[in-house]
Amino acid sequence: MKGKYRWPDGVRCVAMLTVDFDGPSHEIGRKLRPLGINSWGRYSGRRGVPRYLDLFEKYQIPATFFVSGYDAEYYPDVVKDIHRRGFEVGAHGYLHEGWALGEEESELLARSHHILADLVGQAPVGYRSPSGRKTARTMRLLKELGYRYDSSDKDFDLPYMAHIDGKRCSDMIEFPNNTSVLDDMPLFKFSMTPPSEVLNLWRREFDSLYAENGYFVLTFHPRGGWGSGIPSRAKIIEGMIRHIRQHEDARFFSLAGLADWCISNHACFE
Amino acid sequence: MLVTINFDAESVDLHEVEREYLYGRFSYGRYGMRAGVWRLLDLLRAHRLKATFFVPAFDAENNPQQIEAVLQGGHEIAARGYAFEDHSQLEGKERETLERAHQALQKLTGQAPLGWRAPRGLLSPRTLDHLTELGYLYDSSFQDDDYPYVMQCASGKTIVELPTFQMLDDSTFYGAYHTNDRALKTWKEEFDALYEIGALVNLTLHARGNHGSGRASRVAVADEFLTYMKQRAGVFFMTCAEMAVWWQQHHPQTEPAPF
Repeated sequence: MKGKYRWPDGVRCVAMLTVDFDGPSHEIGRKLRPLGINSWGRYSGRRGVPRYLDLFEKYQIPATFFVSGYDAEYYPDVVKDIHRRGFEVGAHGYLHEGWALGEEESELLARSHHILADLVGQAPVGYRSPSGRKTARTMRLLKELGYRYDSSDKDFDLPYMAHIDGKRCSDMIEFPNNTSVLDDMPLFKFSMTPPSEVLNLWRREFDSLYAENGYFVLTFHPRGGWGSGIPSRAKIIEGMIRHIRQHEDARFFSLAGLADWCISNHACFE
Repeated sequence: MLVTINFDAESVDLHEVEREYLYGRFSYGRYGMRAGVWRLLDLLRAHRLKATFFVPAFDAENNPQQIEAVLQGGHEIAARGYAFEDHSQLEGKERETLERAHQALQKLTGQAPLGWRAPRGLLSPRTLDHLTELGYLYDSSFQDDDYPYVMQCASGKTIVELPTFQMLDDSTFYGAYHTNDRALKTWKEEFDALYEIGALVNLTLHARGNHGSGRASRVAVADEFLTYMKQRAGVFFMTCAEMAVWWQQHHPQTEPAPF
């Protein structure tokens, strides 16, 4: 697995910071009102996303935000701001549907696609499935809507070209992520790990992936509760940015930016 | 800095079993009344702090000595349901439940409570309206901001929100069987980051013997954390009612309540 993949010239490692907006859609989709203990999603729009935008601007990080259609309707100004300040907006379901969608999938993907496209004036090219729920149909439906990448699968340490109906696509790519380690949710929802220990964990993950193929995708959430929009956890994201920047040949990409490069060099990828 | 104590005693356990079964594994609420609340009162006295106790009225009626001691200590008593009801499910009974709790606390303490915190953090879309109509000044149930804010309710009145924070709640750690060390380490890291931006620190402790801080070793954790915060310049402790009044005077802008 070592060193056989190539990245843009002079780049040893690509690093992608990805934000799943997860506003009130997360609760509304589960038939909970965003009140009291269920108001964590409101933190995304009120504090978490603005804090991230300042952080990414300060370090000039081309981060990617995955936004549910409902959240774009609930916080249109916040989502427009993400785009206006130069960051990528990708799709993330309508009501953060963390369940099997069946026949509804096509309509829901199209609905959120158009909400985001109309709101920011540019159609999303990337998708991440809410709660990691994806079907054998998802890639084909995304392709029909013009998507260039998905980032939902957990099955590899590198990007790979999409396969639709058994056929390799040269113009669509999968960017795998890992929700059990390179994601804030389990660490703050289940193991209640102190922020400083999470930073150490992620630094070691980065160092290992840097040494191997040089592909690092980190996922975090601006919401309250188990999310990372709060001051202590936004600081560890800043800590990761500083750690990665110590490596001269590591470079930050948005997933859309990396998709462009990978698709132009698709022969390099499985 | 707000130090808040959720009084949650037998009313919590009675959601699990009938009164005749409030023994054995269902007696942690009683521990809070026999031991926990007294230790926490000693801790507050040692630190010369005035805290806010959120009290289910049923527990106040059944533990009048403890309520008397809280009042003697100069602490604020605020409301937390009558018997720890899930307010998101009360529907037509919500108003009478809020009124019953309100009147019971007023009778026991001689003062109408000014604040409310939802049992289990659950509200209905009408809760805030009811609270404003009953004269409440603040709610402390949401988890969606680093600072207080003021909501405009459908009743035409406003209510101050004093947001809570899951990671500064003892039950988050002890209820999931994490160690005292892990709670303390996290609290210090959370406080450091909140202090840096000048945010509201809303520490939430419980008196109970299972997920609360009533045990001696856990009162020691709270003691160390309070000492840690007091060492920093410009850290100021208030009761929730004091904070709500101050905030509303200095930040008059409002936003619509959700729903």
